[in-house]
Amino acid sequence: MTAAGYAVIRGRGASFLVHRRAVAVAAGLALLLASVSVAYLCVGEEFVAPGEVLRVLTGQPSPADLVVGTLRLPRLVIGLLVGAAFGVAGALIQTVARNPLASPDIIGISQGAGALTVTAMTFGVTSFAVLPYLSVVGGIAAALLVYVFAWRGGLHATRFVLIGIGFAIALRSVTTLMMTKGDYLVAQQAQIWMTGSLNGRGWDEAAPLGWALLALVPAVLWAARAQRTVSMDDDTATALGVPLGRVRLGLVLLGVVLASLATGAAGPVDFVALLAPQIARRLTRGAQIPLLGSALMGALVVVLADLLARRLFSPTELPVGVLTAAVGAPYLIWLIVRGRTGGGKA
Amino acid sequence: MAAAVRSRRVLATAAAVAALAVAVVLSLAVGARPIAPSVVFDALLHGAGRSGEGDVVLELRLPRTLIAVLVGAALAVAGTALQGITRNPIADPGILGISQGASVGVVLAIAFAGVHTLSGYVWFAFAGAAAASVAVYAIASSGRGGATPVKLALGGAAINALLLSLTTGVLTTKAAALDEFRFWQAGSVAGRDAVIVAQTWPFLLAGLALVVAVARGLDALALGEDVAKGLGQRVALVRVAAGAGATVLTGAAVAAAGPIAFVGLAVPHIVRALVGADHRWLLPMAALVGPVMLLAADVAGRIVFPPGEVPAGVMTALIGVPFLVALVRRKAVPA
Repeated sequence: MTAAGYAVIRGRGASFLVHRRAVAVAAGLALLLASVSVAYLCVGEEFVAPGEVLRVLTGQPSPADLVVGTLRLPRLVIGLLVGAAFGVAGALIQTVARNPLASPDIIGISQGAGALTVTAMTFGVTSFAVLPYLSVVGGIAAALLVYVFAWRGGLHATRFVLIGIGFAIALRSVTTLMMTKGDYLVAQQAQIWMTGSLNGRGWDEAAPLGWALLALVPAVLWAARAQRTVSMDDDTATALGVPLGRVRLGLVLLGVVLASLATGAAGPVDFVALLAPQIARRLTRGAQIPLLGSALMGALVVVLADLLARRLFSPTELPVGVLTAAVGAPYLIWLIVRGRTGGGKA
Repeated sequence: MAAAVRSRRVLATAAAVAALAVAVVLSLAVGARPIAPSVVFDALLHGAGRSGEGDVVLELRLPRTLIAVLVGAALAVAGTALQGITRNPIADPGILGISQGASVGVVLAIAFAGVHTLSGYVWFAFAGAAAASVAVYAIASSGRGGATPVKLALGGAAINALLLSLTTGVLTTKAAALDEFRFWQAGSVAGRDAVIVAQTWPFLLAGLALVVAVARGLDALALGEDVAKGLGQRVALVRVAAGAGATVLTGAAVAAAGPIAFVGLAVPHIVRALVGADHRWLLPMAALVGPVMLLAADVAGRIVFPPGEVPAGVMTALIGVPFLVALVRRKAVPA
């Protein structure tokens, strides 16, 4: 028996329940993302015709090799990866918290990743082979702190969010402190990084992020299945023998790791993790927050925002986080005004 | 009963004055070069004389200490007023985004108006603080349930993020402004000179007067809006006066020392525990205890990582978070 709107896909040893509308939305988003990506590669200080871009992508010799292949392509790849990671991270954490506000950039996770990364930068660590992993450590540490201090015989969403906001402020002030310690160039680099920027990123930064995310794909597939069990209420889950606590912890941990990796690569690109899953859920009109949809939506938001950030005030490039905050903050305000912020256990 | 309360309040006031005196002396004596209290007193009473130490006290540490006193008092009174008008235990100029609003004003002044002095900053800071406080309160009080703590904190977080991105946008496009801004932004009372003291205190006095004038109204408001109206208080007037006072105080404090979070959060709670909920006592006591907290943070910041200094704003954030955690865990904060 399959619920209305769902279809079952059976593979060898595994079967997936697929929400039909979610598939259609994902296909539409993927198509949109592909065209935005091509536009991203075409547009810049120097316009490159789509035909040339395709020649570069297919590996044929082209005069645009340098501009498209070396400069724009790795940056696009990072934007796609970072956006997808933030989207999935937000979807997982929002699912477990059952609260549209639970987003790594509001409850201090991004700020924890940022604080440790900027601290390392101040002390002379600039290698992108190291920084992403420091971000993960910082993000997990911040998440643990907030979790421990918000736990009081259970987690209440309000308490969790308030304490998270407090830690976010404190951790940001640590970052500020580190910026006053470093010299001017480090400060400028850190300032741009902190707002979330893809500026000047190349394959050296894209590769480690890509490998790390690739390694997490099995975990994300597990999460897609586990997500459904988490939406059960505690009594049903216990009756069915589902280890709800452990599943929730696993989902949150995966979300934290994804958000921290993305933060390490591009800085805390604010509001993507908050925004993308909610838009994706509205599009699919499902009860669940769709993971694939969130990933595609996150990538779309970041790439589109970076395209605008690059061109809006050219020749000056804004950090992409400025654009996402300019869109995301009003959305958060709308959530508050509409009263969608309370309730739910975290 | 009444006598017991009164003697308790007098005792608390005496203790606060003593603590402030100790904090001031520490702030004058402690630093990269420790100076004996006797030398400090000598310099204060008889001038620097010929000693280099006296110069350090009078030229460097005295203005810094006075700024910390003014800014600490301003933020604590602003926090008390905000907690009073919002009836919300986690109201604080930093959390509500008001300090960030003042910051944006200063950034715009540095980057576009060519303003580089405090007397120039301060007007931009007021404008920014006022815009941010109106925006956050409007966001939080709309929709169901009114201005609950969570909605205020989230509204503050949203405004904070929005303004922070505006700040960064400006600083990225105007690189020259960054170097001036980054030290100011950390929230520091170091390296501020006597001129700033002279420019700050009139604003502080004006803000204080506005808030104290409606102290009884704030007391009535604590009982609920309807009761306050029943008691003959003009609720809207009380809110506007106290809100304007808090905005002026925050704007002046931020212009003088950069955004410093959590003083406005923690001090009102400490003071309430000491002298009760009467705003005619709360506000002056906050003005005494606020400076103690900021001075303590500033002195601590000078000695934790020698030879460098940790800006006072960072120290208050680190001291303030456990405070917020305790408040939220004690269920003092309703959803």
